[in-house]
Amino acid sequence: MVHALDEIRRVLAPNGILVDLRPIDDERPIEVFSARETRKTGDATYLPLGLEDDIAANQAMETAESNGWFTRQSKGFFHLHYVWDTASEMEEWIKTEWEDFIELDEETKRATRSAWALGDGDMRVRARVKMLIAKWLRK
Amino acid sequence: MTLIKDPEQNETKHLHKTVDFTGKRVLEIGCGEGRLTWQYASASFSTIGLDPDKDSLRVATIDRPSDMDNKIYFANAQAEHIPFENETFDIAILAWSL
Repeated sequence: MVHALDEIRRVLAPNGILVDLRPIDDERPIEVFSARETRKTGDATYLPLGLEDDIAANQAMETAESNGWFTRQSKGFFHLHYVWDTASEMEEWIKTEWEDFIELDEETKRATRSAWALGDGDMRVRARVKMLIAKWLRK
Repeated sequence: MTLIKDPEQNETKHLHKTVDFTGKRVLEIGCGEGRLTWQYASASFSTIGLDPDKDSLRVATIDRPSDMDNKIYFANAQAEHIPFENETFDIAILAWSL
C-alpha cells in the first residue's frame, strides 16, 4: 500500500489532490424498510481480514504523511446503503461478495427474513456502510 | 439479483463537495466497472480509470457514455505500477482501493 501511495505521488502534479474514499469498519446495521416503516433486524459482523485491511490502509496513509508525501486537508464520514429486493438476495450477496470481510449471524438472518416476509408488499432490505472520504495535498 | 448501491447518491455528493473536477486531469485507481467514474468525469478535462481486473474494464468500456469517448480512458494496471509519466494528473482518487 505504501508503495502504491508513493507511485500516486509520482504521477500527481505538485499541489495535486489525492482523495481516499473507502468503507471503514463500523456498525453495519441491517434494516428492512418500506415507504411506511423501517425496522432494524441486526448487524453484520466484521471478520478479522476486514479489520486488518482497515488498519493497514490507515497505517499506509500515516506513513505517507510522515514521509512528507502528502498533507491531509480534510477528513469526513458519511453513510451509504446497499439495497436488495429480498432478504435472500442480501444473504447471497454478502456470502459471495463480502465473504472475507463480514458475515451475518443466524439470528440476524432469521429476523431479516421474518420482517421482510411479514412486512408490506414493497418491503426491501438494506445494509448501511460507513464511508471515509479524506482529501490529501501532494507536497 | 437486484442490488442498488447508494440510491441516495451520498458518495457522489461527498465526492463533489470534496474536490472540484472542472478542467482537471483525473486518475481513478480501482475504477472497476466505472460506477463512480460516470459521476464526475464529464466535468474533468480527462479521466483515466485504472483497474487490475480486465473483465471489469471490459464492462466499463462498453458502458462508457458515447459522449465521453474522448474524455474517459481505461488502463489495466495496478496502483504499484502506474503506467504514466511523472506529474501527469491533478487529482487521484483511491476508489475503495486502499
